Amino acid sequence: MNVQNPIQFEPITAAHSGPVELTILPEATRFNLRIDPAGLAAASTAFGVDLPERIGGWAESATRSAICLGPDEWVLLAEETDRQAIEASFAGIYSDVPHSLTDISDREIAIEITGDRAAELLTVACPRNLDAIAPGSGVRTLFDSAQVVLYRDTSDKFRIEVWRSFFPHVWELLIIANKELASGL
Amino acid sequence: MLLIHCPYCDETLPELEFAYAGEAHIDRPEDPSAMTDEEWRDFLFIRNNKRGTHFERWRHINGCARFFNAVRDTVSDKFLTTYKAGTPRPSDAELEELGK
Amino acid sequence: MTAFRIPGKGRVNHDTAVRFRFDGKSYGGVEGDTVASALLANGVHLMGRSFKYHRPRGPVTAGSEEPNALIGTSRGKGRFEPNTRATVQEIYDGLKAESQNKWPSLNFDIGAVNDRLYMLFSAGFYYKTFMWPKSFWDRVYEPVIRAAAGLGVSPSEPDPDSYASRYLHCDVLIVGAGPAGLAAALTAGRSGSDVVIVDEHTEMGGTLLSEDQVQIAGQSAWDWLSATLDELKGMNNVRLMTRTTAIGYYHQNMVALSQKLTDHLAAVPGNAPRERMWRVRANQVVLAQGAIERPLVFDGNDRPGVMFAGAAQTYLNRYGVKVGERAVIVTSHDSAWYCAFDLADAGVAVAAIADTRDEIAPEFAQMAADKGIEVLKGHTVSSTTGRLRVKSVLVNPVRNGKVGASRTIDCDALLMCGGWTPSLHLFSHTKGSLNWDSEAEVFLPGDKTEACHIAGAGRGLWGIARALEDGANAGSEAAIAAGYATEVGLYPVEADRTGGGVTHKELPSDRDAGKAKAFIDFQNDVTAKDIRLAVREGMRSIEHVKRYTTNGMATDQGKLSNMNGLTIAADAVGKEAPKVGLTTFRPPYTPTSFGTFAGYHKDAHFELTRKTPIDGWAEENEAAFEPVSLWRRAWYFPLSGEDMHRAVARECKATRQSLGMFDASTLGKIEVSGPDAVEFMNRMYTNPWTKLAAGRCRYGLLLGEDGYIRDDGVIGRLSQDKFHVTTTTGGAARVLNMMEDYLQTEWPDLKVWLTSTTEQWATIALNGPNARKLIEPFVEGQDLSEEAFPHMSVSECKVAGIPARLFRISFTGELGFEINVPARYGRELWEKLYEAGQQYDVCPYGTETMHVLRAEKGYIIVGQDTDGTVTPDDAGIGWAVGKKKPDFVGMRSLKRPDLVAEGRKQLVGLLTDDPKTLLEEGAQIVADPKQPIPMKMIGHVTSSYWSEALGRTIALAVVEGGRSRMGESLHIPMPDRVLSAKVTETVFYDPEGERLKA
Ligand SMILES: [Zn+2]
Repeated sequence: MNVQNPIQFEPITAAHSGPVELTILPEATRFNLRIDPAGLAAASTAFGVDLPERIGGWAESATRSAICLGPDEWVLLAEETDRQAIEASFAGIYSDVPHSLTDISDREIAIEITGDRAAELLTVACPRNLDAIAPGSGVRTLFDSAQVVLYRDTSDKFRIEVWRSFFPHVWELLIIANKELASGL
Repeated sequence: MLLIHCPYCDETLPELEFAYAGEAHIDRPEDPSAMTDEEWRDFLFIRNNKRGTHFERWRHINGCARFFNAVRDTVSDKFLTTYKAGTPRPSDAELEELGK
Repeated sequence: MTAFRIPGKGRVNHDTAVRFRFDGKSYGGVEGDTVASALLANGVHLMGRSFKYHRPRGPVTAGSEEPNALIGTSRGKGRFEPNTRATVQEIYDGLKAESQNKWPSLNFDIGAVNDRLYMLFSAGFYYKTFMWPKSFWDRVYEPVIRAAAGLGVSPSEPDPDSYASRYLHCDVLIVGAGPAGLAAALTAGRSGSDVVIVDEHTEMGGTLLSEDQVQIAGQSAWDWLSATLDELKGMNNVRLMTRTTAIGYYHQNMVALSQKLTDHLAAVPGNAPRERMWRVRANQVVLAQGAIERPLVFDGNDRPGVMFAGAAQTYLNRYGVKVGERAVIVTSHDSAWYCAFDLADAGVAVAAIADTRDEIAPEFAQMAADKGIEVLKGHTVSSTTGRLRVKSVLVNPVRNGKVGASRTIDCDALLMCGGWTPSLHLFSHTKGSLNWDSEAEVFLPGDKTEACHIAGAGRGLWGIARALEDGANAGSEAAIAAGYATEVGLYPVEADRTGGGVTHKELPSDRDAGKAKAFIDFQNDVTAKDIRLAVREGMRSIEHVKRYTTNGMATDQGKLSNMNGLTIAADAVGKEAPKVGLTTFRPPYTPTSFGTFAGYHKDAHFELTRKTPIDGWAEENEAAFEPVSLWRRAWYFPLSGEDMHRAVARECKATRQSLGMFDASTLGKIEVSGPDAVEFMNRMYTNPWTKLAAGRCRYGLLLGEDGYIRDDGVIGRLSQDKFHVTTTTGGAARVLNMMEDYLQTEWPDLKVWLTSTTEQWATIALNGPNARKLIEPFVEGQDLSEEAFPHMSVSECKVAGIPARLFRISFTGELGFEINVPARYGRELWEKLYEAGQQYDVCPYGTETMHVLRAEKGYIIVGQDTDGTVTPDDAGIGWAVGKKKPDFVGMRSLKRPDLVAEGRKQLVGLLTDDPKTLLEEGAQIVADPKQPIPMKMIGHVTSSYWSEALGRTIALAVVEGGRSRMGESLHIPMPDRVLSAKVTETVFYDPEGERLKA
């Protein structure tokens, strides 16, 4: 299958626009999991990662990760090829632990934001206090008027996942802001 | 711009992440068909619109996505407290304490 | 060196010359100058004309509170800005500035005739002068006033500059970097707290920049300042921001800052924003904004050359500029005496100090005598002379309330001080209360509503020693409140300049009060007489006086005028000032460009625009777009030379004849999943869902609890526990929010979950008799025959090898399919289908054709044919309401008395008598066009199109009792004629629905 580059708006090279590196991450498997927290153990087993209980918590295994966005909501991330295996695994627990596992792989586009000034770049449009988002956690919040999930990997590495139709706006704004950082003013 | 404490996230966050959702503690009747026109009208349309401590609902729509309840002073605009949906409203004594 | 510059004096860089133009003439200044300081160094005081009377004016201040010296600056196409304060704008090589409100020139201005027509323009002149005759308002008064009114000229071209914004969180925000602010920053910074200190000037220091004589902790003021700034810059927990104005103070310590980044630069770096808005959230705020000097009110107090003593001192000590050669000081406050002494020391002839007070500190008198300055105690100023520059001042002794004979003293600078007003604008934004200090006759901060601390002159403390001490304490309180331990530094001060004074209403005079032009609001040309007239004419509250006279309503928001206006109004009313009230200050503190507020939201980013996965193809194929909620959607695809009408007619025809394709990706999609999914659907939607088999679809209708239509869409049941719900494009977020609301708060026991999948899927709709023929070869895993896959079916299969959700549904009345594929494949599939569709002359169509085709079939669009007051029965879709359901959202309301009443507006079709006449959507409908005006309107047109299939126009409308009016003629009055139309059924095309089964 010839998978087209989903980005038809701006060449990826525009990412080299300033001190912060902006990268569009490759496609991945992404599920929205909704489940009563009572079923968390079963879900953790099914996914192979201990699902974090606290909102903002982000847990990882070698190839999979899970972030808790709400009291009964998780986003599961995995490699492109893992989709069916994960679906099958969760189907196995459905009758005992009812839940909803919805494929949202294509709903979002992920942007990695790396560099000493990555956090500063995000302050152009993110109203949250970024200091309160510890490395290894993430939250759903806003970037300008677009809802995003903001992951903080390390102090200077972030990831934004944004709905596909909002992507051009967010991406272009990041580039404008990156150029602004480069201007020195 | 206000700061709002989300009782689910247990964090105090910018108002931009939240959406107002009307007066709180108005439960949908168990059996609407059993209600008189007047009772149903009151459920649909009659609101306190109170000057002072107001019980209201907010949704952390750009966050954990939960609806929750709040008590806010409509004169000063400030929140006295917020609490999870389905939990009882704070007593007058508790509110008085919070107001201080 | 220019005539009024003192070599080596001040903080400007005398070695770096700068050339700029003012009103076309080239002037020299030095680095560090403002336009005002540079022009004053050249002996130029005349910098503008006033708003109403076009009186010649010069700078009265040296800061952002300046009301008079407003200029236009330009730096190329689109980069013109009016109303810039000459006292703030820094000069750079090549700066072009011009004065305002003058024609043909600043020196000779025709508009100054207004000054002679003084009586015509007194308080409330708008309300009186132009009242009669009424017909003159539109044709004469308004155009003339518009032409003459306004400060400066609006720029006429789009602003090519970029603007930026940032969020910032800190422990302590300090507004103002004078001695109080700096001491606060030192304490808070040394405690380790995150500190942000901002100042609107180009450099920090505040008063210290103008009072270099002070010794702080054994150092000269400027040495201490530079050491302090070095220390603060060395702390990585402290951020210092100059050219940054705190313009608004909002709830919970959110403070908006406007930072100017490039207006002072001769060469602007690429991609640099011109200004940046900072939204700061501070745990604690320290307001150290100081105080603003107050004018004295006397006849001719507005002539160029009349300025604040404090401003003259700043021009002298900070910029090294003498504001004149021969100065007279007139004051009611000690501070002006120091100005006189500094000027005398710098070689300016100080002809006299006229103090309104009878008692003066002996050391002042002594010092004046030492410097050869004549002292006039207990004196008033009754007038000034001079046209484009003050030439002399008339001073009179006042004894026991009696004004003696005047004496004329020649001068080219008249320096006044009527006391100082604590700057409490930001505090006022927070609705903090103000207390009247009847002794000092000033308002001081009272009860606070926010976590803020006010330090220094802002709370009435005079002198640098007290400002430092108070600032250090405020910084400490703030840091402690933010959770840090502090140590308060001590700042012993020598050669401080403390003192006090009194305030006045108009100064007493021996001249005719009716002829005095004693200005209170320089910018809006409001005089003391105007205030008294307003009170005589019945205004009692300061809010009314303000609006009647326009006092304090100019761009400086009354920074200079409010207190004098209040004092005089209070005197006229006969009450104490606080009883008459103080007008509310509102953000922004100083005028702020629209660009700063807009930030990045300009041009393509004016508003967030959502784009579908197929948007790029539409753009490449030259679609016309239209906005639908935040989306941009392909509207129609014009071939060369086609207008919209012809393109849409062609698209409609092609679709009905053979095959059309449409990007439906924007449709809202919600996955409803879980064991209680069907129960949830039963409760939310009007329709019954229990018996809907997996693999089948149903039209779903969603009401509000009030019984009115909120949304609709086709809903497919994928399995026992899973529904694929579609919503309208604009309703997607709203519907999900409503569903979540019920689920979270009313029915938390239901085991069902909702996930938005709008953007997971790209949706391609294929409609037309050849739709099946096109896709059949692409589909794997689903038999598309009428028997196996009838109308209203859904299947999870593969299309072109891509996992898909395939629907057989139609919003056109033709055989139709909607293919949902993961969004990344949307464009690829579109292109494949388009290519394969060439054999059927496939026609891509946009939203307009979609609207026409559905209207021909009488399918409603929620939000166009409904308006939030339409029930299912009103819309003619009562069939979609389950009759045996125990409950659903809105069911009880369908029995509300007014929803079952006779005569409700119902959706009907309308066919105009003339088949070529197109009704206007929104046009009102009447039964009898001959009735007297105002006519009774019985409905309105909701949809109206040219129908290519019918060869005529069609319309939908909501009309009172519409369904009982079939065949009736109704009338649509338009501005130029009355149109007539017959009421019909809503389905205009293929009423039997045969084509769906093609
Ligand atoms: Zn939350």
